[in-house]
Amino acid sequence: MSDERVPSPSNPADDWKMWLVVNPATWLMPILFAVLATALVVHIYVANAGIFFNLG
Amino acid sequence: MADVSPSGLTERQAKEFHAQFTKTYTVFVVLAALVHLLVYAYKPWF
Repeated sequence: MSDERVPSPSNPADDWKMWLVVNPATWLMPILFAVLATALVVHIYVANAGIFFNLG
Repeated sequence: MADVSPSGLTERQAKEFHAQFTKTYTVFVVLAALVHLLVYAYKPWF
């Protein structure tokens, strides 16, 4: 492997380069489901904390 | 053969998708922040 230095990205200007590695046709839905799962876990936790609404 | 990215997207496609992705995500965050403000006004949790 040549010792070619890869310039480190400067974000957020280079954020778009993520999609040169991660294909959204494959990964957009898994990403959105991960966001949904996180939101559900947080809402279930808050519900069980009984601050606003009680499920049981 | 032209330089193909690991994901197969061209630079233009990646930039085009990213523009929409950030726009959608920004709307999501603004809506969530608004709802949190309303819930906090209804019942402060701190």
